[in-house]
Amino acid sequence: MSQPLQQRNTRSLLTWLPLVMLAGSVFLYLILIGHIQHMKHQQLQLKQNNVWKAYTSDTLHVPVRLPGEYDIAPAAAQTDLETDSANLAILMQTHQLAGQPYRVITYISAKEYRHLLIKVSIAEAIIFILLLVSIVIINRSESRRLWTPFYATMNAVRGYDIRQNKPLALDSITGIEEFDRLNKTLRDLIDHVDQAYRNQKQFTENASHELQTPLAIIRSKVELLIEGPGLNEDSAQLLQEITEANERLSQMNKNLLLLTRIDNGQYPEIGPVDLSSLVERLTQFFRDYYENEVAKTTTTIPPGIHLTANPALIEILVNNLLRNAYIHNMPGGWVDIQLSGKALTIKNSGPALEGDPERLFDRFRKGRVDNRTTGLGLALVRQIAQLHNYDIHYTYQDGVHQLRVTFS
Amino acid sequence: MKLLVVEDEPSLLNSITRYFRQEQFICEGVSTFTDALQRIEDTLYDCIILDINLPGGSGLQLLKYLREDKKKDGVIIISARNSLDDKVTGLDYGADDYLTKPFHLPELSARVKALLRRKYSDGNAIVDLDVLRIELASRTVTIQGQPVGLSKIEYDLLLFLVTNKNRVVSRQAIAEHLYDGPSDQAPGPEFVYSHIKNLKRKLKEKSCPEIIQTVYGLGYKLVV
Repeated sequence: MSQPLQQRNTRSLLTWLPLVMLAGSVFLYLILIGHIQHMKHQQLQLKQNNVWKAYTSDTLHVPVRLPGEYDIAPAAAQTDLETDSANLAILMQTHQLAGQPYRVITYISAKEYRHLLIKVSIAEAIIFILLLVSIVIINRSESRRLWTPFYATMNAVRGYDIRQNKPLALDSITGIEEFDRLNKTLRDLIDHVDQAYRNQKQFTENASHELQTPLAIIRSKVELLIEGPGLNEDSAQLLQEITEANERLSQMNKNLLLLTRIDNGQYPEIGPVDLSSLVERLTQFFRDYYENEVAKTTTTIPPGIHLTANPALIEILVNNLLRNAYIHNMPGGWVDIQLSGKALTIKNSGPALEGDPERLFDRFRKGRVDNRTTGLGLALVRQIAQLHNYDIHYTYQDGVHQLRVTFS
Repeated sequence: MKLLVVEDEPSLLNSITRYFRQEQFICEGVSTFTDALQRIEDTLYDCIILDINLPGGSGLQLLKYLREDKKKDGVIIISARNSLDDKVTGLDYGADDYLTKPFHLPELSARVKALLRRKYSDGNAIVDLDVLRIELASRTVTIQGQPVGLSKIEYDLLLFLVTNKNRVVSRQAIAEHLYDGPSDQAPGPEFVYSHIKNLKRKLKEKSCPEIIQTVYGLGYKLVV
C-alpha cells in the first residue's frame, strides 16, 4: 500500500535505526566488559607483584595480611577468602620463598568498574536516543524542504487544463537536478501534447471552415435548379431530399465550427447581456413559430436581469434551450419559462428521453431519432455553460422535462 | 438597378450573378481585390455585395476606401467568418447589412431589395401588388383597402414572398428568414407549412386571389 513519502521514511527510520543502535549497544557493552576484565586483571597482577616483592624484602615487618588488600599464607594453610566478594576482585597466585610455597591473594574493589560500566551505558543510551530523535526530525524537515519543488510541480500539473490554452508554469531551476530534469521532461511532454491538441483543433476548425464554401455552392445551385424549367414532381422530390441533406450537413458544420471556436477560446469578449429582453425576444419568436404545435407558453421574465458574459454565446445558449423545449414537445403541449437573477428554468411537456440523461449533453447524442436536430445543440449549451462557469441540470419527472441553468 | 458582386469563389459568384440577372438587375461580378477596386472607382452601383476574404486584400479595406471617398453605394457584406466582431466592424465601416455564409439566394435578394427600398423611398415605402398593399413603416397589410390582421411571423412571411415574387423560395430559406435568433441556430422548416396555411386562409378571407403557390414539396412561390 502506498503511503506518503515522509511517513514511509520516518517509519523505516524508526524501524531500522533502533535495531542498528541496539546492535551497536550490545557490541559496545561486550567490548567494555572485556576491557574492564583486562584492566582488573592487570591491576591485580601489579598488586600481587608489589605485595610479594615487599614481603620478600622484609618478612619481619611487612604484615602478612591487610583486609581488602592482600593475604599471604603458606600454601598448606587453610585460608578464608574475604566475604565481601561481590565488591571485590580477587587474584590468587602461588609463590616460592626459601623452598616453601606461599599462596598470595590480592584484592581490589570492583565497584568502580561496575559504576563505570553503568555510567557509560546510560550515557550511550542517551546519546542514541538523542541521535534517533534528531535523525528523524532532521530527516522530516529536510525531506519536506527537498520535496517542495516536487509538490510545486505536482500542483502545477494538476491545475493544468489543456483546453485553457495556458502554458504549464514549471520552474526550470529548482535547486535539485533531478527535479529540474523532471520539470523539463514534463514540460516537453506537455508541449508535445499541447501541440498535437492545438493541431487537432485547428484542423477541425479549418476543415469546418473549408466545408462551408462547397456547402454554400451546393445550396445556391439547388436554389437555381428549383427555378429552372422542366422541374417535375420527380425531380422536385430529388431536389427536396438533396436540400434537406445539405441543410443538415450545413447546420452540423456550423455547430461544429462554433464548438471548435468556443474550444479555441475565440469568444473572449465579455460584456453586459440584458438577459430579460433576450429571453423575452427569443420566447416571442419560438412561441409564434411553434404556435400550431405547442398550445401554451407561460413565462415569468422579470425585467432588468443582466449577466456579464459573451453576448453571442448567451444568445445561442438561451436559443438552443428554448428551441429544444419546443421541438421535443408534443401536440397540444406546453412550455414554461422562469427567469430569475440566479437561474433560467425551462420546463416543457414531452415524451421521455430515450437513452441516458447523463449523456444528454454529449455530442451527437439525440433523445430520439429526429432529423430536425443535429445532435449538437445541447453540446453547445454545455460548452457555453462551462465557459461561463454556469451549472446546468436536467431532470425528467411525470412527463415534464426541466432544464435549469444556474448562473454563478 | 446596378449591382456589383465581389466574391472570390467563382462558382458562388456565378450563382449570385445569375440569380440577380433573372430579375432584371444589371449585375457585374468580380473575384479579386484589384478588379473590385477598379470597378468601384469607375462606376456608381446601387448595391455592392462584398465578400470579406479576397485574394489581394480585405473586403473591409474596399469598404473603408468607398466610404472615405464619400461614395454612397449600398454595401452588403457576405462573410464566412461568423463572428460578432466582424459584423460589428463591418457595420462600423459603413456597411448597410451583413449576411453570413452560407446564405439562401432569396435571403440575399430580399436584403438587397430592402436596402434599395430604404435607399430610395425615404422610409415610407409602400409595396403594391395587384390588390395587395403593404405599408412597410407601419407593417400593415391591406386588401382593397381592408386591413388584414397578420401575426408578426405571417407579416414577415408575406413580405419575404412578395419581395421574392415570381420566384421559388425554399422552406429552409423561409424558416431562416423568419428566425429572430443567432444566425447559426435557426429551427427547421417543418412549421413553415402551417404558417403558410394560416397566411393563405387570412388572405382568402379578404377575398384575395390565390397568389401563393406550393411548388411540390420544395417551397412556395408568390405569383402575380
